[in-house]
Amino acid sequence: MKKLCFSGFIAFWSSIATMVAIHALAGEELPAAVNDTTYTLEEIAEHASLDDCWMAIEGKVYDFTDYLNRHPAGPGTMISWCGREATEGMRTKGYGPDHSDFAWQQMEEYLIGNLE
Amino acid sequence: MRTPTANLMLWFLGLLPSAIFLTTSTAIEWSSTAASLNTLGRLTGVAGLSFFLVAAMLSSRVPGFDKLFGGLTKLWFTHHQLAAVSFLLLLMHPLLLAFSGMAVSLDAGISVLFPANNTVPSLVGWLSLIVMMVFLAPSFAFFGEPNYQRWKLLHKLAGVALVLALIHSFMLARQINFAWQYILWTLYTGLALLAMVFRWGFSKRSWFKRHGRLRYQVVGASKPLSNVVELELQSQAQQERLVYEAGQFIYFTPYDNQLTAGYAQEHPYTISSAPEETNLRIAVKDLGDSSRALQSIQIGSQVRVEGPYGAFFPSGDSRESELWIAGGIGITPFLSRARHFAGKASKVDVHCILCVQDEARALYHDELESIADRLPGFVLTLHYFYREGAINTEFLRAHCPDFIERSCYVCGPPAMLGCVQGILRSSGIPKNRIQTEEFNLL
Repeated sequence: MKKLCFSGFIAFWSSIATMVAIHALAGEELPAAVNDTTYTLEEIAEHASLDDCWMAIEGKVYDFTDYLNRHPAGPGTMISWCGREATEGMRTKGYGPDHSDFAWQQMEEYLIGNLE
Repeated sequence: MRTPTANLMLWFLGLLPSAIFLTTSTAIEWSSTAASLNTLGRLTGVAGLSFFLVAAMLSSRVPGFDKLFGGLTKLWFTHHQLAAVSFLLLLMHPLLLAFSGMAVSLDAGISVLFPANNTVPSLVGWLSLIVMMVFLAPSFAFFGEPNYQRWKLLHKLAGVALVLALIHSFMLARQINFAWQYILWTLYTGLALLAMVFRWGFSKRSWFKRHGRLRYQVVGASKPLSNVVELELQSQAQQERLVYEAGQFIYFTPYDNQLTAGYAQEHPYTISSAPEETNLRIAVKDLGDSSRALQSIQIGSQVRVEGPYGAFFPSGDSRESELWIAGGIGITPFLSRARHFAGKASKVDVHCILCVQDEARALYHDELESIADRLPGFVLTLHYFYREGAINTEFLRAHCPDFIERSCYVCGPPAMLGCVQGILRSSGIPKNRIQTEEFNLL
């Protein structure tokens, strides 16, 4: 048991060090191409269904249609925010805690433009 | 409740939140490699925390409670195992979450470990894990065998790590179904706190004046060997006297300011007196600074006794035939039982094998021999390591031909315990008829 725990301890720090090292060596990732298109809240409101879901979050506009079914808590948690300004939903998950940094990063894949 | 059932219940408690997590998880959470890694990452966090909490429930020793689990040493073995499982799971927890982030990008993976925004929950989690590494390092001998007092001191950090882990968990909030999470963690934390309150409240004072912490005084000291002292302790208050059974042990704290080491430090020692004796006796072998200092403790000095703990022998008088195998100072629990049998002139069937290096180190040989002379059914055999090497099956068969039929009790240093257990098991004695008591810390 002692040996197993010590091995786990070493393996843990080796993995963390490896990830940090790869990250440092990979250098800065290029910023995603800036999308200049702007949309109004009225335009966003036209995309308020499970088959076509846009949201405005912190001044940016996202098309989450392809993501809905991949949300860990199910598409149901997102549907009520489709076609709306959804910063509150992102920041509070509807009951308090913010989404993780990981979630915020993942969101950038669905960016389509800025809010007018 | 039988000991294995009680121990199984602890593992069940540790696994319960994970089971709830799994039954409430949805197909989406397992729909891709990244999603599965993320789910596993959260699952290891839930399981790690629940095992941590169950280990915490067992961290408070309460006299009498340990019997349910086969004695304090067995209970602490379970505590140690639960903590090890928890530690391994909690090490995997951030790694799995980071691996799942890698599915999106390297940046995303790293940001799970070191987020740029909303840093507090992750920071608290990191702090908890690092504190855990610090306090567990001596328990798992990361950097060699630990010093007992330093180990005890560092182990107090466990509370800090646990509180941080709970904060981390509550801040992130979405591991299990929302309500379940609050119910489970509150319940588990409550149980762990209850154990601590029970210890600090009830057992700090003497419990019905027969258990818990009692004030004693050293009234006598004899030296059965040059490096062993047997201390005789008398209760300070007439009505407060520790009630115990043969084979149990106490935590002993000396308050003799002339001691060269170990003043006001607590150490466990096995009781050597018979339960019906007025005074309490313990045998202390010189094995370290504190026990060396105790060899010359002043008569009349104050001590604190806490206990009794352990469940080496079955309660009450035995009607079974027994085989005792003792190594060196491991004779102490047997001495207590032998004195008890001799005092009551019980009808017994006991074969006692005392394993020692040589004649000069045959601890309590004379007294045991005189008991063997007086008490029919009590047989004593000496085994000398220098003459016969390690004890083996042939030796047992030659001196105690019916040893396979007996209930076996073994107490001694770890190497000897391992060796004797191997011999007994390979001779076909079932595990539940072999009882061992380790003096080892962990």
